[in-house]
Amino acid sequence: MADDQVTPEMIKKAEKEKWNSIYKVCCTGAREFKDRNCVFGGVGISFLTVAIAKMVHAPNMILVAEAGYVGFAGVAAMGSPADNPGGYMAMCHQGLFDMFRDQQGGFMDQACLGLAQIDKFGNVNVSYVNPLIRINGSGGGGDISSSAKSVIYVGEYNPRQFREKLDYTTNPGFLDGSPNARQKAGLVGGGPSAFVTDRGVFRFDPETHEIYLADVFPWQDEKDIDEIVKATPWKLKVAKDLKIIDPPSEDEENAVALMDPLSFYRITQYVDRPSSKYTLMGRHDLIAFNYNAIMLEESIRYNSKIMI
Amino acid sequence: MAEEVDYKHKLYKLMFEQEAVATFVKDGTSFTVGGFLINRESDCVFREIARQGQKDLKFIEESASPGVDMLIGTGQLVQFDTAYIMHRQVGGIVSMPNLERCLQEGNPRPIDLGGVMTTPNYKGNEKPLEVIDWTNFQVSLRYVAASMKIPFMPNRSSFGTDIPKYNKQIKLINDPYTDQPIHLIPSYDLDVAFITVQKADRRGNGQVWGYEGCDAWKARAAKHVVLFAEKIVSTEEIYRHPSNTIIPAYCTDAVVYLPFSSLPFPVYGCHGSDGFTLMNMLLSSQTRDGWKMWMDEWVYGCKDNNDFCGKIGWEVLERSVKSAHVLNTIPD
Repeated sequence: MADDQVTPEMIKKAEKEKWNSIYKVCCTGAREFKDRNCVFGGVGISFLTVAIAKMVHAPNMILVAEAGYVGFAGVAAMGSPADNPGGYMAMCHQGLFDMFRDQQGGFMDQACLGLAQIDKFGNVNVSYVNPLIRINGSGGGGDISSSAKSVIYVGEYNPRQFREKLDYTTNPGFLDGSPNARQKAGLVGGGPSAFVTDRGVFRFDPETHEIYLADVFPWQDEKDIDEIVKATPWKLKVAKDLKIIDPPSEDEENAVALMDPLSFYRITQYVDRPSSKYTLMGRHDLIAFNYNAIMLEESIRYNSKIMI
Repeated sequence: MAEEVDYKHKLYKLMFEQEAVATFVKDGTSFTVGGFLINRESDCVFREIARQGQKDLKFIEESASPGVDMLIGTGQLVQFDTAYIMHRQVGGIVSMPNLERCLQEGNPRPIDLGGVMTTPNYKGNEKPLEVIDWTNFQVSLRYVAASMKIPFMPNRSSFGTDIPKYNKQIKLINDPYTDQPIHLIPSYDLDVAFITVQKADRRGNGQVWGYEGCDAWKARAAKHVVLFAEKIVSTEEIYRHPSNTIIPAYCTDAVVYLPFSSLPFPVYGCHGSDGFTLMNMLLSSQTRDGWKMWMDEWVYGCKDNNDFCGKIGWEVLERSVKSAHVLNTIPD
């Protein structure tokens, strides 16, 4: 019968729905980090990303958290850069000032951060969203992006993240995109190098410093890419030789589950509402929050059942 | 006026929690707490200040604890220097609902987010709460400058961003040596630092395990330093791990023996976080009435931090201690 036939479209669709966006973002982002590098991990899924890299393919990577933990094992997801798991099997415990002294001194090779808005030249906003929303603020992101050799941003794709003009510039990227704009302004380091999302990886042109779509997932067809280009306020460039990303491997999948046993990061996936949507929608009422809490509790119950 | 007491030169500096807060926090005091974001923060201070009711306070912290939100809610805070608040960070978590209400409704006072945003259509007479943006490193440089009694520290974290555009305290100059642009970060006039440490002796040597944050700089920048010790030990025990003494006795004004002073947040090697209390606080705080009820029960309804712990339940805390010891322990 015709209904039983497996068409290539069906395989594509099944593959697309096999992994939720946190898996796609973290497992793809993790491949950007190299072994033996010293890597600055941020908060939330940016920490999850570097921890997966360390667990799967870069065991000699030195993980660094801004509150003062250096070279820790990364055995569990951390709620903040100072959380207790960071102290477990660490090479060095130091302070925040020491951390940024080393960072500005150029000892950190790569960094992983999240974002709320990004513009054509990789400048990032994590402080204010118009008309009247205050979000978390710079933290160490401003310091890191102004002097790290390379910064990798991770996050779920949302067309509202791409802005012609940012509401507020928190992290410097390539500023106005002109040659040597960073050096002229007094910044050091190489600026952002990639923005990894669940709908492809965006990179920066080495000449013009403009963001372009470089890598896509195997299930993304021309229609999907067209949608991304159309949703961007400027004419987004797409690489002529688009690379195809390998979908998350079994090892990477297991690493996510190990690092995030209570589904703190993946929780928003179960309610089909990515966390970035909450941020950008400005939904902050009791109902939204309660809904999240109930889902969190359910996922904890579910996970404890399958673990025991 | 009463004669100034030289707290720093006392031999033994033990005090009670209420006594320490009442002695060092007056109207208009600027203060900070130790730790970073949601770890080893002395959150008992916010609850104690809310009970005592000092006014016009100034608070500075590089990544601020959600606990400071209750002082915004009571209207006691008028100036807030910070780099990061855990606000709308992961999912729908709004950990500063009172700051949100200040911005949206001007309740209890309007807010001025460094000139970027202000409370619209505010009709009352309250002075606005001033929130000033920095980066983490810049705030730590403010402590460094204050601790060395120099007026500023140079920094290059904010070129090309909007932080110096709105924060007028950051000055741009040309370096007299190389003629390159550089930002100057001013020192901060810090009155009191409350710091949670894992071990302290009665003379005021504070020992910290795990990350240090900016605690060593805060202790030197502040005019008065109060240590909240998870454990009071003899000075002989301090001699065993001298490299962990990040706050020597000459910095300290008072030592308070107060286990679980950072609840609901964890302390390295001592106890884990109390997610239930934190969730309860955040969920209740989403509405003004809910927040008032939470305050009545958990802050005004408690005499001191031990009362607060008792309300959470000592059995719960005992489990929390055991869970922290799975990961990290502190040597004797």
